[in-house]
Amino acid sequence: MAELTVEDLHLAYGTNPILKGVSLTLDRGEVVSLLGPSGSGKTTLLRAVAGLETPNAGRIRIGDKAVFDGAAKVDVPAEGRNLGLVFQSYALWPHKTVFDNVAYGLRLRKVSGTDIRTRVSAALDQLSLLHLRERFPHQLSGGQQQRVALARALVYNPPVILLDEPLSNLDAKLREEARAWLRELIVELQLSALCVTHDQGESLAMSDRILLLNEGRIEQQGTPQEMYGNPATLFAADFMGSNNRLPGRVTEIRDGAARLEGEGYALWGRARHGVVSGKDGTAMIRLERIRLATGPGDNRLEASLTTSMYLGDKWEHLFHVGESRLRAYGTEPLAAGTHWLEVPREDLWVF
Amino acid sequence: MRAMTLAAFPRALTIFVTASAVLAPLSLIFYQSFLSAPFFDARKTAGLGAYAFIFADSDFWDASLNSALIATAMVVIAVPLGAMLAFVMERTDLPGKRWIEPLILVPSFVSPMVLAFGYVVSAGPVGFYTVWATEFFGGAPWGIYSLTAIGVIAGLTHVPNVYVYASAALKSLGSDVEEAARVAGASPFRVATTVSLPLITPALLFSAVLVFFLGFELFGLPLVLGDPEGHLVLSTYLYKLTNKLGTPSYHLMAAVAICIVAVTFPLVLLQRYLLQNTRKYATIKGKAGRMRELPLRAWKWVAGALIGAWLFVGVIVPLSGIALRAFVSNWGYGAKLSEVLTLEHFQSVWEEPTLVRAIWNTILIGTIGGAIAVACYTAIGFSTHRRNDGWSRFVDYLVLVPRAVPGLLAGLAFLWVFLFFPPLTPLRTTIFSMWLAYTVVWLAYGMRLISSSLLQVSSELEEAGRSAGASRGRVSRDITLPLLRHGLLASWLLVFMIFEREYSTGVYLLAPGTEVIGAELVSLWQGGAIDVVAALSLINVVLVGIGLALALRFGVRLRD
Repeated sequence: MAELTVEDLHLAYGTNPILKGVSLTLDRGEVVSLLGPSGSGKTTLLRAVAGLETPNAGRIRIGDKAVFDGAAKVDVPAEGRNLGLVFQSYALWPHKTVFDNVAYGLRLRKVSGTDIRTRVSAALDQLSLLHLRERFPHQLSGGQQQRVALARALVYNPPVILLDEPLSNLDAKLREEARAWLRELIVELQLSALCVTHDQGESLAMSDRILLLNEGRIEQQGTPQEMYGNPATLFAADFMGSNNRLPGRVTEIRDGAARLEGEGYALWGRARHGVVSGKDGTAMIRLERIRLATGPGDNRLEASLTTSMYLGDKWEHLFHVGESRLRAYGTEPLAAGTHWLEVPREDLWVF
Repeated sequence: MRAMTLAAFPRALTIFVTASAVLAPLSLIFYQSFLSAPFFDARKTAGLGAYAFIFADSDFWDASLNSALIATAMVVIAVPLGAMLAFVMERTDLPGKRWIEPLILVPSFVSPMVLAFGYVVSAGPVGFYTVWATEFFGGAPWGIYSLTAIGVIAGLTHVPNVYVYASAALKSLGSDVEEAARVAGASPFRVATTVSLPLITPALLFSAVLVFFLGFELFGLPLVLGDPEGHLVLSTYLYKLTNKLGTPSYHLMAAVAICIVAVTFPLVLLQRYLLQNTRKYATIKGKAGRMRELPLRAWKWVAGALIGAWLFVGVIVPLSGIALRAFVSNWGYGAKLSEVLTLEHFQSVWEEPTLVRAIWNTILIGTIGGAIAVACYTAIGFSTHRRNDGWSRFVDYLVLVPRAVPGLLAGLAFLWVFLFFPPLTPLRTTIFSMWLAYTVVWLAYGMRLISSSLLQVSSELEEAGRSAGASRGRVSRDITLPLLRHGLLASWLLVFMIFEREYSTGVYLLAPGTEVIGAELVSLWQGGAIDVVAALSLINVVLVGIGLALALRFGVRLRD
């Protein structure tokens, strides 16, 4: 059953359109990420769902209740939507203790004093925060603040929890730990969550489904594997992962495969939608899919090594083919000079 | 839907009350200016007679010219001095800056009436410093009653107004641009005049317009200092109109008032425009890095001497004069300080019930009245907070209106309001009338204090409350208001000081029951009761000083 449905949502600031007809559904127990570059409208979409922005047209339903309908002039205010929202800045109230921050939503719902104590304690305990309940927000570390913000949004059991860049305020190392911990918590509590992020790695790791936004529209949606392994557009392919791009001319299309020829290479790859023989095209392959080869062969090209960078767990080699640059990973340092690279047909996309 | 209209009710009420309190007095002045007699006179007729009369009066044109000259002199004196002062205080390593700063702001917290009186008893023909200088050097090369002297004194006492804006702008300027100039070989003075101050031109321009505008509002200084040689400015011309014809010439006063507002209102709009520009300018510069102070080395003697000289003339001379005058029975050539010391002036204040009531009322209006005023300002602030609709813009402009109406006119207008609307008339002789006028006159100032505190509350904290399930009103009560606490306390202290200092608003509202020190000073000065004026002035300064001490103790920022 869909916990949250958004249909054809439009939103503009003055004459500047931000959302140009976005639709999505969120099923119970599912985590959906809104991914996109800054300015793509992902945070605006989340805030519109929360009731903090007013769309111009479209519909938003939570469960079977319409909370926004542009045509029917329904607009339930933020406080009437019963959602949990975790802010990027956490937005903990500095004048309330951890306990009072978490208890506030329950007090608003007229829960009795003893119930508040048990439920807040349970929520804090779940997030290993119980010993901090008398502290004020400024006495907490960034990671602790994030968990308090989460406890505050979860304590009244909202049907959907909204997360706005939940990890971006943590430093790099803590972020990876928090990512694993958050995913575990969401699965354990069977939460339905809508999560905004601009970090593709975070969205791949956290979500069951990804919605990629580009300039107010959904560019592509699907499971993390689909999004990463089978991008439909150049934008989607480029946004996810680290990529090599090769410009050229499409010379032949046969059985869903396209042949792209450029300066110093002619490669076969999977033809994506809209590729036309005889026109310019772009080939794209993930860095980790390029293999070093010992000599010429099928779908291989010769490139000269410019330099190598040591990354700790592997090497990253920089090659030049004509005017184009290619990057590839390897386990060994390479000698200067030219090398053969294999570009597997099924891993190369031609747009 | 019903719940929403109910929730909108307090907002509608706030806006309605504010609009009435602001617009009713002004409309009444406007209406009165087109009548041939006071509005309560049955024989009044509509017409332009009042304007024709004042435009035919050469005194009116003299007063207008004097106002313009004094305002120009103030700009010429206050802007360069205030800018240099801000540079020295903000960007250099001058020793003792921490305790100089509150001293610099003193003239803006002391009533101009008190300052003017201070100059009379210090530097007037038989003032303390004049007498001492004559005894030591055989003469005192200054006079304080000429037009030039009024312009100079007004200029010097308005330096703080420039200083606060210039230093705020300098704060947001990175020190790297100055260091670049130093490395290129510029002396501190060159750095100030060729790099730092040009970069804050928008702020200086704004303060120039502000000072020019304040020049047209000037009342206490020209009233006290302009009297002996008969120099009138627009506000004192208005004040003396009553005596001129002998009958209540409300229509003429109203016409002059409209002329003054016709000058000040465009200036207020210009200030608003410039201020927005200044903010834009400041944000473009972005975050200033860590501020490093410019080493002054030998220049510190020059800077220190200049600041010392200004503090001496602008603060020490008038205030020491008042302090001395309050404790001497008489003063003149040949008088020995040790022989004339006395406490009898305070005793006469104490024995005069109206003056005791004035002191008591002044304290009440500052403390309780100030608190209620802050509560009103907060309510208005909340009515526009995080709402970007037509009503918010209306309130934005509405609160600017009283800024353009000098206190003297506002007091007059409120007097008429209380006479015009019979239901209000019984309140006329209560301190409420005075409080209402004060609160409206300082509306723009108070709103600036409140809205800068409101801006400090991040919108996400409120949004978090909304999504947790709290209504707008509940968020205001549980989240915004508690976070505003310190800002409200600070506003209360600042409003207290402003209300203690206020004098011109009360001039026309003064009646048995509404006595306040400021208005009493004007009235007593007119009556020539120098001794009592000295004692009351000192009491007034002490009251403001208590507010200032508390503000410093609680770390209140004295400027915005």
